[in-house]
Amino acid sequence: MAATKLTRSQQIQQTILYPIDWLEERSGIVGGIKYFLFRKVPGDTNWFQTLGAATLTAFIVQALTGTILAMYYKPDPNGAYSSIQHITNDLFAGWLVRGMHRWGASVFIILMFMHMGRVFLFGAYKYPRELNWIIGVLLLTMGLGEGFTGYLLPWDQTSYWATVVGININGTAPFLGPFLAQFLQGGTYINADTLSRFYAIHMLLIPGAIFALIGLHLYLVVRLGVTSPPWSKEAAGKGPITNGKVTTGRRGLSRFGTRGRR
Amino acid sequence: MASDRIVERRRVFQQYKADVKERGKPFYPYAMFHDTIMSLVVVAVIIGLAIVWKYSTPGSHTGTEAGWLGKLLDAPADPGTINFVPRPDWYFYFLFYLLRIFKWPETVILGTIGIPTICLVLLLAIPFIDLRAERRLSRRPVAIIASILVVLSMGVLTYKGATAKEALGSELVAKIPSWAASEGFTGNQKAIAGAKLFAVSGCLNCHTYNGVGGAFPGAPNLTAEGAKNKGIAFQIDHLKCPACKTPGSPMPSFQGLGQQNLTALANFLEASKGSKK
Repeated sequence: MAATKLTRSQQIQQTILYPIDWLEERSGIVGGIKYFLFRKVPGDTNWFQTLGAATLTAFIVQALTGTILAMYYKPDPNGAYSSIQHITNDLFAGWLVRGMHRWGASVFIILMFMHMGRVFLFGAYKYPRELNWIIGVLLLTMGLGEGFTGYLLPWDQTSYWATVVGININGTAPFLGPFLAQFLQGGTYINADTLSRFYAIHMLLIPGAIFALIGLHLYLVVRLGVTSPPWSKEAAGKGPITNGKVTTGRRGLSRFGTRGRR
Repeated sequence: MASDRIVERRRVFQQYKADVKERGKPFYPYAMFHDTIMSLVVVAVIIGLAIVWKYSTPGSHTGTEAGWLGKLLDAPADPGTINFVPRPDWYFYFLFYLLRIFKWPETVILGTIGIPTICLVLLLAIPFIDLRAERRLSRRPVAIIASILVVLSMGVLTYKGATAKEALGSELVAKIPSWAASEGFTGNQKAIAGAKLFAVSGCLNCHTYNGVGGAFPGAPNLTAEGAKNKGIAFQIDHLKCPACKTPGSPMPSFQGLGQQNLTALANFLEASKGSKK
């Protein structure tokens, strides 16, 4: 080690790289990030396939603005409304953070539906990606759950009465309905605990589940790869292969893929 | 044959992986570039909506009047209000309107729980219903028709929900004079006030009254509740804690309405001696 004397620039480089090497040796994270960034995706992926990333971005906006709102919001019936007024009218850029959270929710939900529509039309839910479709549907219901629980928090007339009706609807479900309604309300009717319960569900329970499911969702995307568009001339595996030859006349990747196999 | 299909789809996927490895492009920078642009657009749209929301609000942009994107904040919640029309956020309008389609008491549960549950199960089951490997849309007519129908019905339900003038409660309020005439409490102001509460508080989601409302299992028909002569005190206690008075009752408590409203409701129930028609 001491045999060769390092130049000054090499020393600097080594000092900078040391923490990275330290981390890599103990966690393998650098290799993981490299694998994530430099994994191959089909050459003809298109703009429709950015909807997933767009949805993720909208969720991150919700998480960040939500965290800021949580620093000022007071989840009790006596303080909730005035804390929202305080956020909207008094705090620096409070209206912007609240507005972004309020409308980011709509954007998040629209993007989830659009992303799902893209996956459906591309047939990207088919083997071997069935599980990721299911996780996606769960994420959609969680997102709608966030919309439902978040709507009550301003504690104004609109949010209060919409939630009363929403809980009543849950309550009409056979067997589980009354229990679900009671769980949501934190009692047998809407009371002071209902608001803090909705708050806990809205900012701890469901977001935790969403984070976990997004992690799984992305893991499966990386593991299984990105689908190419269904009209792709380069899409893999077009047509059945007989004796190692593609029987259909389609050109493209499938021919390259089988080359040299015999 | 099924095993042939499984062997074939495994082969196709292996080939896809080999092809992508050989001919694909790296995620960074190509796909990531598009993702980043799209993400910036999303953030810009969200910020834009927040700005429009605030600065289209009339006056000093702080009031409770509605701007282009609706109110910044409504009046404070008041559990005692009886004439408020409940309205969910716009992305629940399709569910909201679905309820209004099912007006017959026996079918309300279809709109509230039945159809949404069926849709969710179908959505989860799509990969197991559609087992073909075919992805080209021109060869998937059922998928095309299904997606057009879903988009159309969601669109129509959302539009109808957005433009619906009255909620369920206000339609029921219109029936109060005929209830009063039929049950014989026309001059009883307390009972009339109670009837209004009864119409807007969701009681008819479960109970039937004078031929309208839901028929939730275990929720009795209240048309002739007063004929049982249980007394106003009993009715108030029951509304506060149904399970205390009727063990095992699935009915939620309505204590949140407040003593005055509960008294009105109890008066209405006791005045409902049964339809005379």
